[in-house]
Amino acid sequence: MISSKNVLLSSHGTDGAQAAERAAIAMCETDASIDHLLVVPDLWKDMMGDDWLNNGSTRDRYGRYIESELGKEIDQHIARVRQQAEEKGIRYQCKVILGKPDQCLTSTCKESNYDMVVIGSPRPKGLSGLRSRMTTESLAKNLTTPLLIVPYPNG
Amino acid sequence: MVYTKKSPALLVIGIIMLAIWFMADSGALSGYIEHLGGKKYKYLAELTTLPLYFGVLSVLIGGWQLFGTHSEGQWDYFSSAIAGAMFILIIAMMVRWFVAPEVAVVSKMMGKVGDTGKYIHKLLGLNYVVIGIVVGIVTVNVFRVPEWAENGVRLSRLGLKTGVILLGTLYSAAELKNLGGLSIIMIGFFVLGSVGIVLWMGARMKIPNSMGGVLSAGMGVCGVSATVAAAPVVQAKSVEIAYTIGTILLWGVGCMFIFPVVGNLLGMNYVQFGAWAGTGILNSAQVAGAALAFQPDGIETLKVAEIFNITRVLVLPIIVIWLAVWYVKREESVTETVNVGRVIFEKFPVFVIGFILLFALSSTGIFAPANHYKGKYFGNTAESGFKESKLLKADKIAVLSAEINKIQRQDRKTAVQNLIDNGKVMSIEDDDALRGLVNAKVLSKDANKILKGAHKAVRHTAKKIKAFRNWITWLFAFGLVGLGMQITMSAMKQAGGQPAIIGAVVGTLKAVLSLVVVMMFVSGSI
Repeated sequence: MISSKNVLLSSHGTDGAQAAERAAIAMCETDASIDHLLVVPDLWKDMMGDDWLNNGSTRDRYGRYIESELGKEIDQHIARVRQQAEEKGIRYQCKVILGKPDQCLTSTCKESNYDMVVIGSPRPKGLSGLRSRMTTESLAKNLTTPLLIVPYPNG
Repeated sequence: MVYTKKSPALLVIGIIMLAIWFMADSGALSGYIEHLGGKKYKYLAELTTLPLYFGVLSVLIGGWQLFGTHSEGQWDYFSSAIAGAMFILIIAMMVRWFVAPEVAVVSKMMGKVGDTGKYIHKLLGLNYVVIGIVVGIVTVNVFRVPEWAENGVRLSRLGLKTGVILLGTLYSAAELKNLGGLSIIMIGFFVLGSVGIVLWMGARMKIPNSMGGVLSAGMGVCGVSATVAAAPVVQAKSVEIAYTIGTILLWGVGCMFIFPVVGNLLGMNYVQFGAWAGTGILNSAQVAGAALAFQPDGIETLKVAEIFNITRVLVLPIIVIWLAVWYVKREESVTETVNVGRVIFEKFPVFVIGFILLFALSSTGIFAPANHYKGKYFGNTAESGFKESKLLKADKIAVLSAEINKIQRQDRKTAVQNLIDNGKVMSIEDDDALRGLVNAKVLSKDANKILKGAHKAVRHTAKKIKAFRNWITWLFAFGLVGLGMQITMSAMKQAGGQPAIIGAVVGTLKAVLSLVVVMMFVSGSI
């Protein structure tokens, strides 16, 4: 079993990402630390589409609603990983960024001396969910830290 | 925060505009204009004026933005939008004056398509509006909208709304009454029908109520705008919103290209196409795009389609209230009651008030005499401005005589016979009948051209109304290029799952059924 002291975990709540969360927790020793990166895909900036009929107040209300929905989802993901980490005595920190998942992961990785980056596998075809995935080719080219891609559960 | 960017972009845009003006005004572009159509090239007057005005404005403001000092405040916010607005404008200018005419030249070189008798650019509706939207979509997806232009690109909404408000000046009371009645019947039937079908299909496919609610608003009323309005009310999840918006955008962009082709192949008239696009296209932005794609050099189709769009947006608050009540009844966890007054107040489209106000003002005669549309500007005598040189020549009379038996309706046949006998249009009623005949596309292209010429010889448009038409065309072109810049592949890629299946079924049903209804019951004139 691989063990790490300083792990960067990137996850966002899908089954594949939750498998990555479990693997990251399992590989950490008791005094290790996990930095949990949650990327809000920048496609949300475009989710007003080409609406032009609504008044400003309706658009503002929609914007606030989307922010609150995404916020709630992120809070759930953070609470889940934090609980698992604390149960094992692992130091937990989280960071939320808006952007492209692979770019955000690469730039965050450069900010600290991680000894392992952990991510989940892409969702198998046919399963529902947002279409915003890490480009493994981009990660392979730009990451200087070992990368662990955890297999999709039951995949 | 200071929003105005110290960027040379606006200054450069201004210099490009001034260079275009200088080359057009000095004759340096003569060779190219000859290539684009010579005497048939319609934009020379615009080329020698608009780039000068906007170029000077851009250079002055661009210079101040680059070299001046800026501080926080309202003026700073407005100033930050100018570069983006000019960015859209220069794209619209380039496409209207050079790209679209060049596409037409190439298309004509390729010859007519099969037995359709039409060039490929006419068949596909590849005019400055459609090409402008495509350029907008390519810009945002390939290059991204530059940071200095982001605030201004949002002004495209204001452009479209202002276009609709100004459109209010161009309707006669009779047109508004007839079109309003038709749109209320069609929109009422198809909106309620598609909302009902989506909710029914959603229940059968066991999708969550929140997804059914947001999807039914988007599919039924006015696409993305309805989704934006309904999502918080039915507490849609983020992924459900993404699915719905992705599906609608993909479907809407597809329809914008397909509808004009079908309209051309079926030989639809302006009223029929406007009514079909206004009902069958899910997303409201693409309704205007398809209408201008079908008829780029006139606004009759746009006038019809926009009345349907306005009816849709007026229905929106009612549908939102319906969905809110429907959702509250089905979700036990929801304890909030529906505040009907707040929903109506928030969702009521304010710009429609502007449209109605301008229509009312126009009816008082402030822009043109009150009876302008009743024929004040009709005149077939020398005293009322008719030139004898405009009398139909023998060869044109021969064309009409050869085709008169194609006409079924007696009033139109009589009008053509009167025209043949007298060489000019004899009455306002005859003129209206001939206009309907042209719109119905019953006669050949040559015959229709003769009828249009006869109409122009006796019917004159007030100068202010002409100016409004020009402004409206530009405002829509500006707005649609800007809206194109807000259609991203990443959003369209979200189309999928059960919403895509329901969307495809309901979208196809709506498009096909509304086409059948329009072809069967809507005539060539209003």
